[in-house]
Amino acid sequence: MTTPDRRSFLKGAAGAAAAFAFQPDLSATPRPLNAPLRVGLIGAGRQGRAIMGELGKFDDVTLGAVCDSDGRRLSGAKRRAPEATLYSDHKAMLESEAQLDAVIIATPTHQHRSLCEDALDAGKHVYCEAPLAHTLEDAKAIARAARAASGKFQTGMAGRANPVYSLARSFVRTGAIRDTLSLRSQFKKKTSWRTPTSDPARDKFLNWRLDPEISLGLVGEVGTHHFDVLHWFTSQYPTSVRGSGEILIWKDGRKVADTVHCEFQFPGGVRSQWEASLGTSFEGEYSLLAGTMGTVKLAGTHAWMFKEADATTFEWEVYATRQQFHQDEGIILIAGATELAAQGKLKEGIGLPHPPLYYALENFFVAVGEDGEPCCSAEEGLRAAAVAIRAAEAIRTGAEVAIPETDFSLE
Amino acid sequence: MLVRLALHAMGTRFELVLEGDDDGPGAEAHLRAAGEVALAEVELVDAKLSLFRRDSLLSHIQRNAADQPVRVDPDTFALFELCAQVCEATGGSFDPTVAPLMRAYKLHDDKATTPLVTLEEAREQVGWKGRVELLADPCRVAFTAPGTALDLGGIAKGYALDLAIEVLRDAGITRALLHGGTSTIAAIGQPRGREGWPIALGSGPNAPRVLLRDDCLAVSAPGARSVQHEGRRVDHVLDPRQGLPVQGALVAATLSRCAAEADAWSTALLVNPDPKGLPPHMESLIGMTEAEGERVPTHWHHRPRITRTSPSGFCDIPQSRQATPLQTV
Repeated sequence: MTTPDRRSFLKGAAGAAAAFAFQPDLSATPRPLNAPLRVGLIGAGRQGRAIMGELGKFDDVTLGAVCDSDGRRLSGAKRRAPEATLYSDHKAMLESEAQLDAVIIATPTHQHRSLCEDALDAGKHVYCEAPLAHTLEDAKAIARAARAASGKFQTGMAGRANPVYSLARSFVRTGAIRDTLSLRSQFKKKTSWRTPTSDPARDKFLNWRLDPEISLGLVGEVGTHHFDVLHWFTSQYPTSVRGSGEILIWKDGRKVADTVHCEFQFPGGVRSQWEASLGTSFEGEYSLLAGTMGTVKLAGTHAWMFKEADATTFEWEVYATRQQFHQDEGIILIAGATELAAQGKLKEGIGLPHPPLYYALENFFVAVGEDGEPCCSAEEGLRAAAVAIRAAEAIRTGAEVAIPETDFSLE
Repeated sequence: MLVRLALHAMGTRFELVLEGDDDGPGAEAHLRAAGEVALAEVELVDAKLSLFRRDSLLSHIQRNAADQPVRVDPDTFALFELCAQVCEATGGSFDPTVAPLMRAYKLHDDKATTPLVTLEEAREQVGWKGRVELLADPCRVAFTAPGTALDLGGIAKGYALDLAIEVLRDAGITRALLHGGTSTIAAIGQPRGREGWPIALGSGPNAPRVLLRDDCLAVSAPGARSVQHEGRRVDHVLDPRQGLPVQGALVAATLSRCAAEADAWSTALLVNPDPKGLPPHMESLIGMTEAEGERVPTHWHHRPRITRTSPSGFCDIPQSRQATPLQTV
């Protein structure tokens, strides 16, 4: 694959140096908003709790209401956000909380559609966690509702708001790794992926990720985020997928695979491999884009560039910090490097000052406050979900499955 | 049925043993799932309070709290309140504002997000009172003096254990033992057929023992980790009051229902081996020596609890070497 619209960018070393110099504003403090925002959160589980933690950093944002149908989670939310009004029903929240500007949805995936539609209908801006949905029908319905609505809609795929990913992307798109040869992502974590409860009724609710009727499994809950990063970096979408999924470790009666391999075919011959396992934590979670002049590695708050020996030397490399990975040496990509280097504080910039989720939320709040475009639209959410849905189908059937363009279309 | 889990966090290893009363189908999966959620809580605390991660809440506080009060969640605020309380009760023997001093002594490596200053400057920057302000409604923390930085290493493991234990109890777990780096330990119930979880403080036949049941134990010892500083060995516990390596006890252990409290007090008693001010629901055991260079305690000071809230207690303290308590309340 030739680097997309590479010619429209500055070429080679000069371009990459320019990318290095012109960074987005990376101050560690949130950007002030035009007006304070009042938000409601639907879903107070794992992700909802992480969102509550990050919301506390925004002085201009108030968490006015929290909704969860599970009483125990709601009481946990009461402790963490004592100032918020609690609801067990989202319709009651939307009716009672006229002052809410925006709603953040962090519920089980299969509930997203009705929640998004109701929140958009109520005139709220919506941030919805990924994957948008577990069926194409639901994902398209959400994208259509977002298109028709007056409010902003952001899909919670945090890669697009991640400053260090933006920096890496600017390198890739200005030709720093030249022609892309392959893409690879993985998620490895040794965990049963099960939420404990001794109540069978609650078990069905809490362990929805292990129910194949309503969950795409790893490829949906984790893969969607990786797929979107590759879509964003390459401006391309895969055309077909092969996959396999097994239950190798957690033979506890579940029907959702704990170890998954997928291979996606991109236009132009490049393939993308995706691997996930709940039986090992080795090397954790990352994505790689390998090119003829270098490879970029993306891992949440960190990113690196590994250069080929014959790659052009950048002027700024003399200042760069490097990290050894066995036989490979990676240049640590530092967001805001020029400014930090000028202050002699380059090393203090290694790793982002906030988790990626913070930047996704900040991007949403700024888009709402300044009438801008959220970094990750409902359409991109639909595309990543569609790719995951086709991958789940490939895993289930064992056959190569096409990903037609009509999957991405709202017409 | 026993299930064991482990996690690398906070620069050490956490281990968890869970015992179930039920051997039926799904019992093991339930125990494991509960253990994983408990260890995930430890991971969250690490991500939040690490001094070595730029994206932690603590680093966010260090960057901003001198300019304006920083909002924190009520759980973190409660931890800061406990820090203030133990700091006050111990006369500063436990004091998280010791961070600049730890960095100056190179007890923190370059990954620490606190700035490196000279020892003299660092000594001027220690002292919770007058430097850290806690503001309620909403919960906020402010630094009121320049150079202030917090190292929660003396309390974070205990705090993480408290949250993990709460998660385990919520999941219906009735028998469990969880430790962080073997120095902070929390127990739920007792193993089947026994009175408590037996734990030895060190090795050898003369090592004191603890029977732990629905209780937490913290043990501090200065020699657990050390660095070379200007040709001298500096142990990893510093006296925040003096700005010098600790000269107090060889080992200090405490028992409490709250692991964070036990953790903080064990550090404080190592710095100043005087249990005056120790809350009546806590128990302490301090190992000391008068011999120069000796690193094994030759006598023990034991202060039993005044208010007993748990069947746990220190036992098998070597009688021949047992000394009079330093202080009784």
